[in-house]
Amino acid sequence: MKNKIVMIMILLSLLIPVSVIALTGEEIIRKADDMQVFETSEATGEMRIKDRFGVKVSTFISWSRGSDESLIEFTSKAERGQKVLRTEDELYLFYPDAEELIRMQGSMLRQSMLGSDVSYEDMTGGKDRISQYDVVLEGEESVKGNDCYVLMMTAKVRTVPYPKEKVWIDKETFLVWKAEYYTKSGRLLKEMEALEVQEFEDRLIAVETRISDKMKTDTETIMVISDLRINVPIDDDKFSLEELSW
Amino acid sequence: MNTKLIKTALRNISRNKRRSILSGSAIAVAAMSIVALFSLIEGMTDDMAFNLKTYYTGEVRVKHADYDTYERYNPMHLTVDWNSVDKALAKEDMVKSYVPRISFPSNLYIGGSNFGAMGVGADFEKEAGYQDLAGSLKAGRIPENGKNEMMMGAILARDLKLEIGDRVTVMSTTAARGTNAITLEIVGLFAFPVGALNSKYFWVPLDRAQYFLRMDGGVQEVLIKVNDEVTSIAAAPLLKAAVENSAGVEMDIRPWQELSTTYGMLKMAQMIYNFIAMFFFLLGSTVIINTTMMVIFERMREIGTLGALGMHGKELIRLFFLEGTFISMIGSAVGVAIGIGLTLWLSKTGIDYTDAMSGMDFEMSAIVFPKLSVGKTVFVYFYSVIIASAATFIPSRHAAKIEPVEALRYV
Repeated sequence: MKNKIVMIMILLSLLIPVSVIALTGEEIIRKADDMQVFETSEATGEMRIKDRFGVKVSTFISWSRGSDESLIEFTSKAERGQKVLRTEDELYLFYPDAEELIRMQGSMLRQSMLGSDVSYEDMTGGKDRISQYDVVLEGEESVKGNDCYVLMMTAKVRTVPYPKEKVWIDKETFLVWKAEYYTKSGRLLKEMEALEVQEFEDRLIAVETRISDKMKTDTETIMVISDLRINVPIDDDKFSLEELSW
Repeated sequence: MNTKLIKTALRNISRNKRRSILSGSAIAVAAMSIVALFSLIEGMTDDMAFNLKTYYTGEVRVKHADYDTYERYNPMHLTVDWNSVDKALAKEDMVKSYVPRISFPSNLYIGGSNFGAMGVGADFEKEAGYQDLAGSLKAGRIPENGKNEMMMGAILARDLKLEIGDRVTVMSTTAARGTNAITLEIVGLFAFPVGALNSKYFWVPLDRAQYFLRMDGGVQEVLIKVNDEVTSIAAAPLLKAAVENSAGVEMDIRPWQELSTTYGMLKMAQMIYNFIAMFFFLLGSTVIINTTMMVIFERMREIGTLGALGMHGKELIRLFFLEGTFISMIGSAVGVAIGIGLTLWLSKTGIDYTDAMSGMDFEMSAIVFPKLSVGKTVFVYFYSVIIASAATFIPSRHAAKIEPVEALRYV
């Protein structure tokens, strides 16, 4: 009897790591998505856009609620007052000198945001990736000394910005350290890399990220979040079209 | 050459009037066609040069030193300081007029969709002294400085179903390498001679374009027209020195002939025109040669008779040469006169290419006015006479060599 109990304990102890390793690709992606989504958040930051003509800095304040709603307001001189609103289904731009809101759709979404390496389309991704992609766990690799899962995601639907995504997700924190975005035929379109991370309420968040559009030569955009506040109260109509025009 | 031979030649011409008129008419038609064609080409070349200088490059163009290098990246931030360029040009006697311009590719946001168009920021007061802006206005009025207004190409407005009073939101890349949008009211519709300008362009006040595009007093280019006493090639280096001295920075200041894209286009067009002209010219020459030779070959019996009567070979050649020369002189004169008349008439009415040019991005006006070139017209006259006269040598030399009895066998 005593031997039986020891045997069961040994087996149980062996099962624990086996259950961790046995996380499926979908589960890893779900955990990574959950790590990046807050009930509400407010952040200030800047985009450092480097191209052949030099470095341009645009500052912004952003608000988000859940995974589907966000609002960015630019505060730098050249773009002051311009806003980008993302709702569950739509993306709108507000320009102080324009009398109407500009709804981004179709090919307009592929335009670069303020000349950066980030397209408006990039802002529409991230919703329910599990239903949009087939996820295959390809293996494990170390990124900047962090053990990561390597996952290849292939789009099941045509409405996603990129047909293929390869992501490196931290095995412990589920932070996305690196991502590569490809065409259907496997041509590299864009790269993302977390440069600096910070812990917020037991979660590791990338506060400095480099994005590089591989279709352009010698360009990159560094997104820096200088101040992040999580679960702050935000007015219900913050993400409404009426509020956007104000 | 004795007068007897001349009299005989004239008598031969008048003796068979129908033949002489037919022969002269062929020469006249060829000469008229060539004069008209040369005039049309002259008009087309002049028109294209005018359009390039007025709407695209000026006679001398001022731009940021690096603009052309990076043009494909739409470098809106590579501007020139308008105030310093304005100050420098205002002092130059060789400058007839000059205008600042900002051309910006943009999207017009209409009904939830984007439509590509080209915006031009312009100082409309200065433009009035540079081009016939009021004459190009088809409806409404010219936008006023400081107001969010635009005038739009009539064809573009028609295609987008817009009219005066409509408000359009324009999106573009700014000099800060970001994006911006502004809503402008359409206050005028224009119809420039160049079709592409009317189907793709809208013009806004310079100060609004500078504000919207975050240009802070900068302009993309300054187009200069120089006085008639000086050529653009001679003026460009002098203006470059003056402007750079005033602005304190190096700039790209070149005459329009050195701007490869535009002048190259004109040169290419000229080459195509000249090829077409050469083709018609050869065709015209063939008609003249053919007519002259036919006239002599059908007179072999007459040549035999003249030979039997004792006229020598050289005299025969001279006789037919004189006949050919007289007919071609009259035919060419008539043809050139008709060609001049036709050109003068068309130079007032113009030739309307509107339908043929629709949808073409070419710097030629939809209505082309042929232009008479005195030098080329005189050349056509003498060319026709020489060709027709020279064409008599081949058959008349042949005729002079054959025996009278043999010549009499020709029917």
